Amino acid sequence: MTKIGLEIHCQLTKLESKLFCSCKADYRGFEPNTNICPVCVGLPGSLPRLNKKAIEKATVIAMALNCQTPQKIAFFRKNYFYPDLPKNFQITQLNIYGPTSIGQEGKISVEGKEIQIRRIQLEEDPGRLIYEGSSERTQITLVDYNRAGTPLVEIVTEPDFENPKQVRLFLNILSDLLENLGVSDPSLEGAMRADANVSIEGGSKVEIKNINSFYDLEKALHFELTRQQSLAERKIEIIQETRHWDDKRKITISARSKEEEEDYRYFLEGDIPWVKIDSKTVERLKEGMPESISSKKIRYENYGIPTQVADILSSEKYFSDFFQKYLDYSNLVINKKLGVPNNFNEIEEFDKKYHSFAKEGANIITTDLMGLLDNKEKRNASKLTAEHLSDLVNAILENKITRHSSKTVLQTMVKTGKPISEIISEFALEQVSDDAILSTMIDEVIKEESKAVEEAKLNPEAINYLVGKVMKKTKGQADPTLTLNLLKKKIS
Amino acid sequence: MLVSKEEIEHVAKLMRIDLDDHTVHIDRVQKMIEYFDILDKAGTESEELIINEQPLENLREDKYEPYGDKLIDKLKHYKEKFVRAPKMV
Amino acid sequence: MNLGISALDYIEAIKNGEFTVEEFVSETFDQIKKVDGKLHAYLSLNDKALDQAKELDKKRKAKEKIGSCMGMPIAIKDNICVKGAKTTCASKMLEKYTAPFDATVIARLRKQDALFIGKTNLDEFAMGTTTEFSVYGPSKNPWNQEYVPGGSSGGSAVAVSALESVVSLGSDTGGSVRNPASFCSIVGLKPTYGLVSRYGLISYANSIEQIGPMARTVKDTAFLLNVISGIDPNDNTTIDNHGEDYLKNIDSGIDGKKIGIISEMVGKGTDNTVSSATKKALAKFEDLGAKCEEIPIDMVDYSVASYYTITSTEAGSNLARYDNLRYGFDFDLEGYEFNSYISKARRSFGPEVTRRLIIGGFVPSAGHAGKYFLKALKVKSRLTKEINAAFKKVDFLVAPTVPILPFKFGEKLDDPVAMFLIDFNTVTANLTGKPAISVPFEISNGLPIGIQIIADSMQEKSLFQAAYALESTTNLPKVPL
Repeated sequence: MTKIGLEIHCQLTKLESKLFCSCKADYRGFEPNTNICPVCVGLPGSLPRLNKKAIEKATVIAMALNCQTPQKIAFFRKNYFYPDLPKNFQITQLNIYGPTSIGQEGKISVEGKEIQIRRIQLEEDPGRLIYEGSSERTQITLVDYNRAGTPLVEIVTEPDFENPKQVRLFLNILSDLLENLGVSDPSLEGAMRADANVSIEGGSKVEIKNINSFYDLEKALHFELTRQQSLAERKIEIIQETRHWDDKRKITISARSKEEEEDYRYFLEGDIPWVKIDSKTVERLKEGMPESISSKKIRYENYGIPTQVADILSSEKYFSDFFQKYLDYSNLVINKKLGVPNNFNEIEEFDKKYHSFAKEGANIITTDLMGLLDNKEKRNASKLTAEHLSDLVNAILENKITRHSSKTVLQTMVKTGKPISEIISEFALEQVSDDAILSTMIDEVIKEESKAVEEAKLNPEAINYLVGKVMKKTKGQADPTLTLNLLKKKIS
Repeated sequence: MLVSKEEIEHVAKLMRIDLDDHTVHIDRVQKMIEYFDILDKAGTESEELIINEQPLENLREDKYEPYGDKLIDKLKHYKEKFVRAPKMV
Repeated sequence: MNLGISALDYIEAIKNGEFTVEEFVSETFDQIKKVDGKLHAYLSLNDKALDQAKELDKKRKAKEKIGSCMGMPIAIKDNICVKGAKTTCASKMLEKYTAPFDATVIARLRKQDALFIGKTNLDEFAMGTTTEFSVYGPSKNPWNQEYVPGGSSGGSAVAVSALESVVSLGSDTGGSVRNPASFCSIVGLKPTYGLVSRYGLISYANSIEQIGPMARTVKDTAFLLNVISGIDPNDNTTIDNHGEDYLKNIDSGIDGKKIGIISEMVGKGTDNTVSSATKKALAKFEDLGAKCEEIPIDMVDYSVASYYTITSTEAGSNLARYDNLRYGFDFDLEGYEFNSYISKARRSFGPEVTRRLIIGGFVPSAGHAGKYFLKALKVKSRLTKEINAAFKKVDFLVAPTVPILPFKFGEKLDDPVAMFLIDFNTVTANLTGKPAISVPFEISNGLPIGIQIIADSMQEKSLFQAAYALESTTNLPKVPL
């Protein structure tokens, strides 16, 4: 049986400062070695100053992954020499003195398959090595310490995955979850990295390191499984080893055996006393946790939003946050309109209205807005507010404009941020619901489409074709219900 | 317990210290480690460790404060931008 | 001018305009010129000291607000960072290293207008008890230059003893403040772990070491602690002492206090002269109204082994950063591969550091941690419990600071275990985090003997009261310069 386990490294990019100093946590966009201080380059005499929020946010991740969180959190030193490691040890966590890392024994379900989380630990990211020079002979190694000390959460799973697809689904869930918690932006380059261990029936466990994106992780797993299977078919023993993922050639390569002699001499980091997490803190953190994606989805479905729409909307943090703002504002609008409900009937009426707003809003967001704002630049540039969307939905629900024209309105709102009234008059989008105007239009259509009229008399379904023609004549502004009724009357 | 010369040489290598002609250290390190055998007699196997603790509130608030000086200038630097390391092969 | 003046009297004199900071500092530099060629207390001097002295004098004349340490000359052990000053740890490894920031203790002293005279000699990275392991050569004991001054803060002790500074700072990992204080007949305190910020102290064994004040009087030592102690956001291990004033009521005496004599520290291995001096000290305590009793602390016999196991382990990790890539000394990396380069660079560690780093790689390693490192931690914990229990019965624990008299250069160098045992009476305070002070008590055949008093955690105030009481019973000769 195939067994895959993961070690996922996730930077807490949403923190302001590094794990042990006040330099910027998100080092992106800095000139090399300009986001450094005596602490993160490990100058003699410097000491780590632990970031409180890093502990809190990492704990929240542990909670969201259904982990046990300890009462006391301990840090250890992992000793090894590498030029990206300014102190030549990394401050990290493990559980040699009992469960003292940020979280343990969690689980997360992937399409019915339960994946056990062994441990979650908080640690410092090393710096970055840069190789300059064209050939191997002229190549020199340079170090940029801007990243050194960025808070990193490592999530270690049991080898519970049976295939790369489960891994992919798990990682999708995980990155949505981390984004939803507001702790990390998984889309940033290098914000999420992974090591994997892979074994097939009868073979030893092989570690794969160096995988810098989830996209490559899946590729690496496929490559490694194929490699192992082909060895097995040829009856060649699969040895226990560490292999590196070669980013360029897209293969795994056996790492030199040097790592085997590595002995990390783990011991307690004396500069950081154990951090006590009392039950009050745990409660506070729990209360402050954002609604989980799955409970968001259930809530959306309760509004009557179709499952598929609810699924997409709940897992996209930017849009679900926007949707929530929209709902909150619409709530006020409905209250204004209906008054505060104070009996059963009024509550029912209120809910009905609220659900219509929810359904229509979700519909517009998922079918139109997600396409309009499909990257960060567009989102930043967008002038659309929750109030805008609420006004738009209100206009649709009150038959002031058609769904068809709503697309133009939305686009214009995103681009200009103009209020709906202005856009409607500017583009003359007011829905045509005047009997007299519609009547003349319908007469014209009946005259032009005599064949279709005959057909519609026999087959009531065919009348939709005529409605379409009327819509076309009015550039989509005809009130569809009214048009249908008038047409029916005139034909029969 | 006398620790073998080879083992000490091995550890020196792991600690990234060339011993070469420093073999005079080995005898002395052996004596020092041998003295630690006295710990076996302390009878503290079941002892629980006492470890310093601090409340969460003691920790640093998450605030970005750029370091004022251009620190790279004060390190050994390469083109005022990088720290240079030897080849990694 | 009396260079032997106490810090408190000095500050008063400066405030009263009896003499200027410039006059005193200039004379101090004359003294350094005169004696330091032989004694070698300093590794480097503050070449701006006279200018700074003039600035302070101006400030006083202009009646500006002046700090509590107004113009007080202080020498700093060269493992404590002073911004812009070379900080070498007496090692070739940091030969070219200039600290870009002030240690917290330095910043506090600076704010109070203290005047830094220079950086003092030590055993390389504070590993040693004689300063013989300084790569720049040893300091000499001013009482007899053929004898070691003690260590590792030997330079700081010599500077104060030989009137090359009024006070100084050392660091104490296993006795490194108290031992040279005892050997040079000055006062030295190892504070409660966490009372003084270690930010800017270059770590040797960070879980047990502290910066400690050194001075010629108990009062000056208490005064220095007032300035440097207290919680520091830059050091997570510091404790809030709520601005305690250690000078206040320092003369309260010790009438009615109970004193325990740690049996293991006065038994076998203690020099006869030291033994009899200790007995005399106990008699003095009783004269002052204290009650003395012997208390056995079983774990003391294992303390030195525990201490060296733990300190080597931490040193192995703390000194790993010295790979000569970011700072250090000149050594071209062209043609080297990473591991061969740093292994060659790290050969620049001196012999004792090299040995302890190897031990530090061995005792916590996967195959050996159970036999060595973990056992050492357990001894440390049991020792702490025993000492805590003792403090339920007595107010102070007393022993000679060092079980032997100062010795001649080279005398102990060849026997590592003999060197271990010099620390026998001092490491307990470090392993348990308790404050301990060495008070000069006797000069025997021209060699100083100090008495160590240990108190419970954060009881520095009463510790100073006991030390002051003992000091008051002595009348020691002046250092023969």
